[in-house]
Amino acid sequence: MTRTEHVALKGTREGLVLYFDPLADFGLLLTELNKLLKDSVQFLQGATVRCFAGDKEYSEDEHDQLTNLLQEHQLELGGWLTTEEVYVPGKVQSQAIEKETRLGDEGMVEGPCLFVERNLRNGNSVQYEGHVVVLGDVNPGAEIIATGNIVVLGSLRGVAHAGATGERKASVSAYHLAPTQLRIADLVTRAPDEDAEERGPEIARIKDDRLIVEAAGLTGFRAKGR
Amino acid sequence: MGEVIVVTSGKGGVGKTTTSANIGTGLASAGFSVVLVDTDIGLRNLDVVMGLENRIVYDLVDVTSENCRLKQALIKDKRFPNLHLLPAAQTKDKTAVSPEQMKALAEELKKEFDYAIIDCPAGIEQGFRNAIAGADRAVVVCTPEVSSVRDADRIIGLLEAADLKNPKLIINRIRPQMVKRGDMMDIDDILDILAIDLIGVVPEDESIVISTNRGEPCVMDKNSKAGEAYRRITKRIQGEEVPLMNLEVPEGLMDKLKKLIGLR
Repeated sequence: MTRTEHVALKGTREGLVLYFDPLADFGLLLTELNKLLKDSVQFLQGATVRCFAGDKEYSEDEHDQLTNLLQEHQLELGGWLTTEEVYVPGKVQSQAIEKETRLGDEGMVEGPCLFVERNLRNGNSVQYEGHVVVLGDVNPGAEIIATGNIVVLGSLRGVAHAGATGERKASVSAYHLAPTQLRIADLVTRAPDEDAEERGPEIARIKDDRLIVEAAGLTGFRAKGR
Repeated sequence: MGEVIVVTSGKGGVGKTTTSANIGTGLASAGFSVVLVDTDIGLRNLDVVMGLENRIVYDLVDVTSENCRLKQALIKDKRFPNLHLLPAAQTKDKTAVSPEQMKALAEELKKEFDYAIIDCPAGIEQGFRNAIAGADRAVVVCTPEVSSVRDADRIIGLLEAADLKNPKLIINRIRPQMVKRGDMMDIDDILDILAIDLIGVVPEDESIVISTNRGEPCVMDKNSKAGEAYRRITKRIQGEEVPLMNLEVPEGLMDKLKKLIGLR
């Protein structure tokens, strides 16, 4: 989640949502939004955002200004959300969100998923709002950008960005995890310079504000004498 | 109906032209009718490597823009009457030809020849798109360097996107001694990344420099190691199963002596 004082941009399961402070001056909102979008990474380009500003309603003129500003950053205004549709702290949550929390408690995440059933070679780029699974290798020079998790059933040697809209719980896992660069939400790291071969499957995720890599839990498999 | 094979690499200087010349000459010496097409407009080299530079009258652009007939632009090789060269233009640039024109040309060549070998320029822009437009098969050349492998990977992706499935790989200029010392990528390291079929490994060889300067492809040189590698590649292109060349570092004098007196 990226935010300024009166504006916040958040990736949700249903896409990007812009939160405006209903009490703030509209001009101020636009200035802050402009700064926010300028600072955020370019992968947002082409996405649709929906806005939420509580019960406040904006005039047609203000509405046009907002649309134009979003267009300048290659974003499309997808409409307005009502209080019932968004998660507001302290308010009653909708059923869908409740369900997600419940599943999350058990270490489960759901959402749209893209299966890539080939190798991604140098120059290939996959961008997806959801999880991405690659049934093959991701070579140096290829990139995957997903708002959810990334799983590679092969070697990951390119660039991977999971939780691209700010989801810090996202993870990147691969059978052979040796990315050129690894990003999760707003954190960036690169592979260690020494090349340790054959470490087996690994998962990268954020723990305590740091990106860490750990062996995938294959205890049973390993115990069988690998 | 013949076959059009494009020789490409992405990176420059890895040996596309040398490979094209040697594969073409090799196929011609096996009795096939072959045409070599240089698509590197503005930086043509294949004519020099073949030693045919002084015979050029018309070129590729003259043919595609219908300044002359195909037959007029084809240059007959010095050694093999069944080997021909269609040279590139030197005074134009890559935009002088379009992929559609290349496709039409490829169709025409297929009627006349058993094999058309297209020497692709470096890069992934128009020259590359022209070169692959009419091709049925692709051969990717790379050297055991990280940058070359990177570019080859990109090229393979582009070839697959252009529906040229299953490109074949030639690893060029490998130095077995450096590989043995661990100072150079070995064949497995490269195949690990590129994951395509290997049809040949050509060792670094001084005879390439000599034969290139002389304008005589080394595939005809019985004493050249690179020539031997290209002879095998030629056979594999015809569909024969031949083992890869043995690139083992030759034994030293002491090893030979020991073996002779039965110590090993």
